[in-house]
Amino acid sequence: MFRVRGLTKVYGTGAAEVRALSGVDLDLYASELVVLLGPSGSGKTTLLNNLGGLDVPTAGELQYRGQDLTAIDEAALTRYRRDTVGFVFQFYNLIPSLTARENVGLITEIARDPMPAEEALDMVNLGGRLDHFPAQLSGGEQQRVAIARAIAKRPEVLLCDEPTGALDVRTGIVVLEAIQRANRELGTLTVIITHNAIMADMADRVIHLSDGRVQHLRVNEHRAPASSLNW
Amino acid sequence: MLSHLDRKLWRDLRRMKGQAFAVAMVMGCGLAMMIMARSLIFSLESTRREYYEANRFADVFVALKRAPNSLAARIKEIPGVATVQPGISVQVTLDLPTLDEPASGMVRSLPDFIPPELNRLFLRTGRWLSPGSRGEILVGEAFAEANHLLPGDTIAMLLNGRRQEFKIAGIVLSPELIFESRPGAALPDSRTYGSFWMPYKELATAFDLYGAFNYLSLALEPGGRERSVIAALDLLLTTYGGRGAYGRADHPSHIRVSDEIRVLETMSIGFPVVFLSVAAFMINAVLSRLLTLQREQIAIMKAFGFTNRQIVVHYLKFAFVIVAGGTALGGFGGVVLGHRLVMLYHHFFRFPELAFRADRTAFPLALLVCAGAATLGVFGAVRRAARIPPAEAMRPEPPANYRPAFVERTGIAHLLSHTFRIAVRNLERRPMQALFTITGLALATGILIVPNGFRDSVDHILDTQWDTIQRQDLSIGLVEPDSARVRHLLRHLPGVVTVEPTRATYARIGFGHQRRQLGIQGIAPNGLHNRVLNERDHLIQVPPDSLVVSEKLAQALGARVGDELRVEILDGKRPVRNVRLVGLAGDFTGLTAYMDLPSLNRLLGEGDIISGANFRVDGAHRAEFLRALKGIPKVSWVAVKDSLRENFRQTTAASIGLIQKIYLVFAIVVAFGVVYNNARISLAERARELATLRVIGFSRREVGAVLVTELVVLALIAVPFGLLLGTGFAKAIIRAVNTETVRLPLVLTASNYAFAIMVVAIASTVSALLVLRMLHHLDLVSALKAPE
Repeated sequence: MFRVRGLTKVYGTGAAEVRALSGVDLDLYASELVVLLGPSGSGKTTLLNNLGGLDVPTAGELQYRGQDLTAIDEAALTRYRRDTVGFVFQFYNLIPSLTARENVGLITEIARDPMPAEEALDMVNLGGRLDHFPAQLSGGEQQRVAIARAIAKRPEVLLCDEPTGALDVRTGIVVLEAIQRANRELGTLTVIITHNAIMADMADRVIHLSDGRVQHLRVNEHRAPASSLNW
Repeated sequence: MLSHLDRKLWRDLRRMKGQAFAVAMVMGCGLAMMIMARSLIFSLESTRREYYEANRFADVFVALKRAPNSLAARIKEIPGVATVQPGISVQVTLDLPTLDEPASGMVRSLPDFIPPELNRLFLRTGRWLSPGSRGEILVGEAFAEANHLLPGDTIAMLLNGRRQEFKIAGIVLSPELIFESRPGAALPDSRTYGSFWMPYKELATAFDLYGAFNYLSLALEPGGRERSVIAALDLLLTTYGGRGAYGRADHPSHIRVSDEIRVLETMSIGFPVVFLSVAAFMINAVLSRLLTLQREQIAIMKAFGFTNRQIVVHYLKFAFVIVAGGTALGGFGGVVLGHRLVMLYHHFFRFPELAFRADRTAFPLALLVCAGAATLGVFGAVRRAARIPPAEAMRPEPPANYRPAFVERTGIAHLLSHTFRIAVRNLERRPMQALFTITGLALATGILIVPNGFRDSVDHILDTQWDTIQRQDLSIGLVEPDSARVRHLLRHLPGVVTVEPTRATYARIGFGHQRRQLGIQGIAPNGLHNRVLNERDHLIQVPPDSLVVSEKLAQALGARVGDELRVEILDGKRPVRNVRLVGLAGDFTGLTAYMDLPSLNRLLGEGDIISGANFRVDGAHRAEFLRALKGIPKVSWVAVKDSLRENFRQTTAASIGLIQKIYLVFAIVVAFGVVYNNARISLAERARELATLRVIGFSRREVGAVLVTELVVLALIAVPFGLLLGTGFAKAIIRAVNTETVRLPLVLTASNYAFAIMVVAIASTVSALLVLRMLHHLDLVSALKAPE
């Protein structure tokens, strides 16, 4: 689905220049679950932002289903995010003034073929907390609402940036189960960023990133269920 | 050198300069109003006081029929009287070649060889009258200016029926005529009415008054009691046709300056209070936001050992810099506006020199009031922030608690979109911020109602006073009341379509302990010309032997329809009668009583007498008619409706135009500032939320809609309140303006309301668009990082 060649992203100029990505080559396929591993500053988030249409690369090739994402304008990028991409962030980024159901429902107002908010929340096992506001939910619950919000539009791509980064192990596993289930049941290409190597076991493929480059790529014969992970 | 903390202050201010400026502007508007009004009060009061002192303005005044000069000595013996100045005051008509109609005016006498003891004139140009001269005259500045008269020019006057030419010696001002208008007129009409001064001998001879006086002013001794002097004077002058003495407080010119000062006093308190409250809240909102953003900084400062007091002072300084800015803007604005208004006063008030004098005490007071408002606005927030223990402050604030908004709990929740829910829940979570934004917008809407209300009110007067009430083309007064023979003469003037006689007489009308001196107008029964309308503009027919009075007079006397009023005529045989009050007239100038003409003549006991007439004239013969009028010796004054109306329109248009502009600017500043401040704070506080919406696929327009929905909800609540507030303002100001000399009706039109709504809507929209442009710079990536 994605074809990435020589992808480069440079922030700043002159002495303040930072090369976040320096020539990433990568292909991503439909329905697979990919874990992007790497230490802080390795360029994981920059890569994810570029894939998600939040940022544009400085150089290189970035195609989604044959469409060049580097050549389209702001409005087209918004449309791409709206129709194609689901995001899950480390800090959930829910709208505090909307309930769980409404946070998901917000997406169904703008998406082309959304599932009902209740169904999406059921998929993340939150069917019982539909009318709670974010302030009334635990961190794990908030993150599952965020996942429900991301999958409610039936996205073709689900991008997760450190989805368990702010959670304890037990809660983190519940969240990962939800992501895995969405990937399995909806056939969504899922990319998870983490610096937690243990999570690599649940992926189809594991991509190691370091200094803005792909260091190596590993294919897992068997995907481990999220519930079997422990760190 | 700046301390590091102060350097931080400057940088914080620079970052928030837009909001700081918006707050300073709103504050500046309130202060400008206050400084302007207080300085104008100071200018008028001090200039008037100095003028009165320098030119020895008298304390008590009285007009009478005729008394021998020797009586002046007896008057001087009244206990409490220091100086007496007898003289002659008469009404005349003038023939100006530049004017179709006869102009009219008042001529006063000056002592032949010495300067007057009281009410001394101020010589603007030319020279004083030569002692013992004849054929020389001094002209009041307003009339000279309006008719382009200069010393050395000649003017023709009808003195007691004899046409005489006079050479203008000088152009002068009188402390008795700071405000000079035709008796009973609301505004000066300097083109057709003026004041003149001549030597006593010449004027007295012309009017067969030599050795006598018909007007007297006197100064009281220090500690002299005005009331007892007036009582003694009235008693003494009864047999000489005294028309009732009055003090400065009832002097027509003095009253008008005092009325203006009173309106300014209302303005100097009311408006600034409202503006400053809004500004105080805006500072509070800006600072609260800064404190939230700097929660961790405060914690670190405290961890390093800064005391709560130092932290409170640091943030108060932030508020005070804005206050200083607002005071500077307000001071500048107040002085500029003050200068403009003083120039406007030259249309109404004649002083030797009326310069804008800034009330220096207003500036520290303004600073104090503003600093007080700001402290009140921010102190609580700052103290709360300073009190949080450092360890707690270093942690980010817990997520905000929300609940379904009130509108959703009414059961219509399913009808509302998610963006609408976000908007109303946010508003409900910050009720004070919402309340003050509403207050600000309501205020902006409200203050626009005031000047346009004035305009509509003046339009209403122009319509009713000169179309519905006065259907004549012009009115004249006679030098002396005359018998029915004059009617014949008047009816046969060229071009007369209809003529209706009038009779005016001075009277003292009382009820209970209250009494007032005024003119009674006798109007022709079933007359078509000068009619009496009640406050709802319905025609009142005055039945025989009864009285209709100005509503304001009934109010002043405490009388109601059906009461018997005591009428003491101050002319002729001075009869005293009780007459029943049958109606209240909604007239807009002075205090007047109306009777039917035959009844008034019966009351006076002088037979079928008239003192003036109202005419309708065939337009084709108008010039001929006016020419003929100029030659009739019996005519003492002429009032041409069209020129009065035009003068009234022009004079009010100039002042209302300026006031409209001022209020328009203030309204725009407030609407713009309040919306800008609100939107900026929302944008800053919710950058993360809005960026998230963008990331998950909302377009800029859709995200903007969330902010705009909030503002629209606020505006929709604010506007009706604003219209109510404006109606209240207009009522209060009209009430302050409404006096026994001038009254404006309260006229509020749909177009006035619509204009106010439109201006506020446009100012708010432009302001909101400006903030929405910042959505372009929303950093999508950073919003996904850890919350601040």
